[in-house]
Amino acid sequence: MKIGLECHVQLPTKSKMFCSCPTEECEFPNTHVCPTCLGMPGSRPVLNRQVLVYGIMIAKMLNCEVNDTTWFARKTYFYPDMSKSVQITQYDNPIGERGVYYLDGKKPIRITRIHIEEDPGKTKRTSDLTSLVDYNRSGIPLAEIVTEPDIATPAEARQFLTQMIGDIRHLLNIPDDLEWVVKCDCNISVGTERVEIKNVNGMKHAEKALHAEMVRQIAMIKAKKKILRETRRYDPERDVTIGVRVKEFEDQYGYIDEPDLGIYHIKDLADSIKISESPQNMVLRMSSQYKIDQKMAKQLVNTSMDLAGLFEDVAKEFDTASAVKWVAGPVSASWRAMEDRGETPDMEKLKGFIRSFTEGKVTDTQCAIDIKSYMTGVDASAAMEESAGLESLINEFLDKNPKIVTDYQKNDKAANQVIGYVMKQTGGKYSSSEVVETAKKLIEARF
Amino acid sequence: MSMDSTLRDLKRINEKYRMFHAMTEDLEPGDSSFLFSVKDNLTSKDMETCAGSRILEGYHPAFDAASVEKMRLAGGKLIGKANMDEFGFGTFSTNSGFEIPRNPYDLDRACGGSSGGSACAASVIEDHVSLGVSTGGSICCPASFCGVYGIAPTYGRVSRFGLIDYGNSLDKIGVISQKAADLKKFMEVIAGRDERDPTSMVQPEFNTAYRKMKSVAVPKEGIEGLSKEVEKAFNDALEQLKSMGVDVDYVDMPSLRYAMPAYYVLATSEASTNLARYVGMRYGHQDGDHTLKFDDYFTDVRTRYFGDEAKRRILLGTFTRMAGFGGRHYAKAREVRQVVINDYKKVLADHDAVLAPTMPFTAPKFDDISKMSALDSYKADYLTVPANLAGTPHLSVPCGYDSDGMPVGMQFVADHWNEDVLFSIAEDWEKQFDLRRPEVSI
Repeated sequence: MKIGLECHVQLPTKSKMFCSCPTEECEFPNTHVCPTCLGMPGSRPVLNRQVLVYGIMIAKMLNCEVNDTTWFARKTYFYPDMSKSVQITQYDNPIGERGVYYLDGKKPIRITRIHIEEDPGKTKRTSDLTSLVDYNRSGIPLAEIVTEPDIATPAEARQFLTQMIGDIRHLLNIPDDLEWVVKCDCNISVGTERVEIKNVNGMKHAEKALHAEMVRQIAMIKAKKKILRETRRYDPERDVTIGVRVKEFEDQYGYIDEPDLGIYHIKDLADSIKISESPQNMVLRMSSQYKIDQKMAKQLVNTSMDLAGLFEDVAKEFDTASAVKWVAGPVSASWRAMEDRGETPDMEKLKGFIRSFTEGKVTDTQCAIDIKSYMTGVDASAAMEESAGLESLINEFLDKNPKIVTDYQKNDKAANQVIGYVMKQTGGKYSSSEVVETAKKLIEARF
Repeated sequence: MSMDSTLRDLKRINEKYRMFHAMTEDLEPGDSSFLFSVKDNLTSKDMETCAGSRILEGYHPAFDAASVEKMRLAGGKLIGKANMDEFGFGTFSTNSGFEIPRNPYDLDRACGGSSGGSACAASVIEDHVSLGVSTGGSICCPASFCGVYGIAPTYGRVSRFGLIDYGNSLDKIGVISQKAADLKKFMEVIAGRDERDPTSMVQPEFNTAYRKMKSVAVPKEGIEGLSKEVEKAFNDALEQLKSMGVDVDYVDMPSLRYAMPAYYVLATSEASTNLARYVGMRYGHQDGDHTLKFDDYFTDVRTRYFGDEAKRRILLGTFTRMAGFGGRHYAKAREVRQVVINDYKKVLADHDAVLAPTMPFTAPKFDDISKMSALDSYKADYLTVPANLAGTPHLSVPCGYDSDGMPVGMQFVADHWNEDVLFSIAEDWEKQFDLRRPEVSI
């Protein structure tokens, strides 16, 4: 089975790709529009250069060759939400070509190309006979990333998307709480003929759509039926793909170069852009540099790049063991609690706690309490009591169930068994992550 | 004619010559220092803009074209939107969804195209300047047929913001007037960089100092296929030029023969994508059958409101853009364009301009035009197309009259950004040329 993806991600510019309309969402339709994004006769596009910058950054992240010169093309097709009936996109000389992205840092997925283009508007069907068109999205900049058919399973497709999108979000500094839709065209062939599932929304649906199509193709092959080369769409309600049109030829978009925009010489710009390490690469590097479990590195990075940064600082300033003991321990356990209070941890303060311990000024229990009380904002003595309460509760449970300690050595998920007991005893007083972290500490102390 | 009398007579003038599609309702000159008109493919806030196409009927743009805005800022009052071939598709202004302008020298003859209404207005109305647009010769052709001066500047010299596109890599906005001095005066007004049109941002400074034209090259390919009377008027004009101290050389420019097919491939490719937006939504006619599916509705509106020539060019352009043909036609045409540019550069390295008649014949009668095939009228542009394809500035000046009294024009082509030498020759030529104004009675 071969799977290849074409994914569209929105570039986080403030204004649209070819006009100065804002890109932010607007509840009123056709409000963030102007003659250019409405395609009024006489209007013309002016490129928002930030789009090139973001395009180059993604191209570099995907290890693509960035072209020295790049330009735009017109893709002509008729649809009500495409205001000019022409989409400005790239055809020859896209921003980047021939890249590779490593899944889990190991399996290479070849990237065919990345290009930038404008989003059309949105068509909303209101009844059987009418549709309404909203051009607020018309001209929003997108990057399209096309992979080679190197993906082996629907689950792997989802994994690829999750990792790559996470990396792009980090690269372009897109806040975690911002909803950021990713659309995909998914190509899959179980046998020899390729089928395209158009316009799938989100990573979960990409996996489900590919799975549904895989099941259909397998059934067709078993029944000795011919799989047609066609375009299908995914219906998430019924979890099936539905034929849209059979592809006898390649799509006829009649591309020509966009004559209103020139040729962009981007070599100097590309050379000047240095991209930060992707979360995915950071996990791999940390795991090998500090000889820690990939899982731990991933947990740090996924919680926050700042947390991972603190880990590195502590490892360098003190030693890796301290970083593992404190940063991956109590700091990590209550990181979210601090974020939930809308505060940012003071790294120097946290290092101060750790220093007090390494200099022998406080016991490790006291250090853990100091960190926890700082992070959660709960009074230290109360935290101490609670912590003591939690620890004695867990120790009690471990005394009764010594098998957990041996199970844990094979699989650290065994620590989860503690959660149910503690929850029952305390009525949900402690968060499950807190319980697990404490349990791990106590279990490890029994090795 | 004073501004007052022009405004007072505007309606009657237009009834006779039909140069305007839309006219100003405000007949007071007010603070204006001059009157001007523009081809109807330049947008104007105060007047309907249709570019000669019925599909745009009712389109009132929300913005002025950059050139219109600049003319107004310079003290101009826009009096009319000039009739034209639909979207610029023609040589005689007869391919129009609206009125067809009449030649000021003979009402049974065409004004040329596609800026026919502009040239007509410039010829008929005294002290009038009109902005035209040239894609393949649409300024020089009508200037020649109407006996006036017309300049199409270097591609990129004038912002195309607010121009309703025909072929974006070819379209140029220029000036048409009875007076040679107006060309420089108003090109200075409308030229210049404009961030709203990125292709205008690379131009060098606009040079307006006098620079005498010392030599011209006449390509052999530019004096083939001329009518006897055009040939005679042109040869007389060459003698006149020599007497003014201009050296005349004959040269070979073989690439000029290939300019025509390359031009039509590029122009129709671009045009067919530009015209895709006209689907009866958002502006213009929206009165198709609303019970149809959207693509059938689009087809319905386009079938009804595009003229034959627009449909022909959409078909030609769509064909040349088809996958598999794109490389054979479109890419090749771009290579030919480069060859033509190189040919001009070579000749213009040691000449100030390339010179030939503007059109191979004088303004034809409407009857004769109706007998011409589409190909015949495409071929009539063979003298104006090469400079347009190359994006080089070119100027048409009246250079004689045929036995029916119809004007003959000749066209100077200078190197990119060298408009100055064209302004200078226009003014020098005007001083010694005996211009015969058409008899205008209203």
